[in-house]
Amino acid sequence: MNSIEVKNLKRIYRATIGVIRRTVKEVIAVDDISFEIKEGELFGLLGPNGAGKTTTVKVLATLLIPNAGEVKVNGLDVVKDANEVRKHIGFIFGGERGLYWRLSGVDNLRYFASLYHVDPEVSKKRIPYLLELVGLKGRGNERVQGYSRGMKQRLHVARTLLHDPDILFLDEPTIGLDPVGAREFREVIRDLQSEKKTILLTTHYMFEADSLCDRVAVIDKGLIVAMDTPSALKRHVSDLSVVEVETFGVAPKVVDQIRELSFVDAVSVRDQGQRQLILVQTPLGAEAVPAVMSALNGMRVGRVTVREPTLEDAYVRLVGGKE
Amino acid sequence: MKFKNLIVYWRTVLMVAEITLRHQWNDSFILFAIIVQPMIIAILALFMLRGLGGDYAMYVVVGSGLTGLWSSLLFISGNSINNERREGTLESLVAVPTPFEVIVFGKNLANVVQSLISMSSSYLLAALFFGYTLKMVSPLLFVGSVLISIFAFISFGLVIAPLFIIYRGIQQWQNAMEFPVYILAGFLFPIALLPAWTTPVSYVLPPYWAARALHETSTGAGDVEKVIFAWGMMLLFSVIDLFLASKLFKYMLYKARVDASLETV
Repeated sequence: MNSIEVKNLKRIYRATIGVIRRTVKEVIAVDDISFEIKEGELFGLLGPNGAGKTTTVKVLATLLIPNAGEVKVNGLDVVKDANEVRKHIGFIFGGERGLYWRLSGVDNLRYFASLYHVDPEVSKKRIPYLLELVGLKGRGNERVQGYSRGMKQRLHVARTLLHDPDILFLDEPTIGLDPVGAREFREVIRDLQSEKKTILLTTHYMFEADSLCDRVAVIDKGLIVAMDTPSALKRHVSDLSVVEVETFGVAPKVVDQIRELSFVDAVSVRDQGQRQLILVQTPLGAEAVPAVMSALNGMRVGRVTVREPTLEDAYVRLVGGKE
Repeated sequence: MKFKNLIVYWRTVLMVAEITLRHQWNDSFILFAIIVQPMIIAILALFMLRGLGGDYAMYVVVGSGLTGLWSSLLFISGNSINNERREGTLESLVAVPTPFEVIVFGKNLANVVQSLISMSSSYLLAALFFGYTLKMVSPLLFVGSVLISIFAFISFGLVIAPLFIIYRGIQQWQNAMEFPVYILAGFLFPIALLPAWTTPVSYVLPPYWAARALHETSTGAGDVEKVIFAWGMMLLFSVIDLFLASKLFKYMLYKARVDASLETV
């Protein structure tokens, strides 16, 4: 049975520009996308910034009205039955906002428990249980403004679970967390998955999607460009190898020259402070290294490696190597 | 609406009011709006009018309390929507099963009740520092007037709040709405002193009927008929306000979901 059904969803943002001559500018955030999520499934939505991930989640969370299409949660329409939908869902938007910083963690939870109509007797037991579940036991009576970013994110999870929803929307929940915090958070997501919650996770981090998701949709410029299991998506690039070249101060023009090489399928650059890691997808494997080095034309180069493709490489290929 | 829902909503209103008070008392602007500003107004009025006797001092105490009530409703309740938007909590509040108007009702209840502090502080100021003997004409009717005024102010605030959901610029108009109501509602002096053409405007303002009931029961003749009439007008306006608010909330929240204005600051 499907918990979530999205059919031909389209969402446009309109902005008015100018004071005297007012013109309306339209941006298509989501353009005719369709997907379904089965009950108990952990579904990933991957895509670059501005691809339409958050817009999709906000439509599902009843916070935006779609311009076209049909969106159902547990068989309920998110526009007509918004209030009923809200009883079944919980959501987290990445970042630290969305909590009352001048209140304690417990007061934040008491407040939202009441807004979700959780019986006071139930919430008295549930709040300590959730604080323990998210690793905030003993810190609940402190003001949220003193919490670390990771603690705030975990309090968000506790807030989301107060009314024990069947469906969770997690929009880039690990963004900005340190590696340890992000790993702990992924453990929380795994626990939720084991409780058979239906989860829609949006993320930038491919390894996160790879390790957590049952299925993944790659979204770019408002369109779904691929949808499959992580292992099936990786097969999209099974004919390729990835040449990684560590450089220091590479110019965009040089990256474009590499992209123009006939045997290159996709190129992406990952900034690492002073260094940049150029990732070249090619069917030639190690044989491509001399030509790539030649394109770098005597530039200072660090480590050079050739490896098997990952889900991230499949993603780069699907979204056109822009990341 | 089912009786069970009413109980759940009332419980939620009380929780919202409690949390609103806890949250606000950490903000020094709130203390300014509900204590400092009404006290400044009371001091100025008491100095200017000190030759007029004890009755007028009581009039000023009640009037400055009403200024606190109105300012609190206008600024704190209105700004609270924009504050929620800034803190990123507005989306979370809209996406809960509790209707948003129930949440705003709880917030307004907290703001209006806490603003009664300004009336008490003005009372103490007049009694302790200016040495007035302050007597209440009809204490029981006064308490009744306070309770009905609270309900009327909360209902009036519910009409204002939805405008803040989509018109973020409305904040700039708050100052323009503050002092005219002080004058037109007769908080600090009777509206009989104003030009006759302003009287119909006063009559359509619920704060005017609140001021009339409170002044009549504190320093007036305590005329029961006049008080009951003012209560009736407040209740009538409250019913109209609640009806308007329910329509406005529905429309504004739908529009905010269309315009994507719940998050943007």
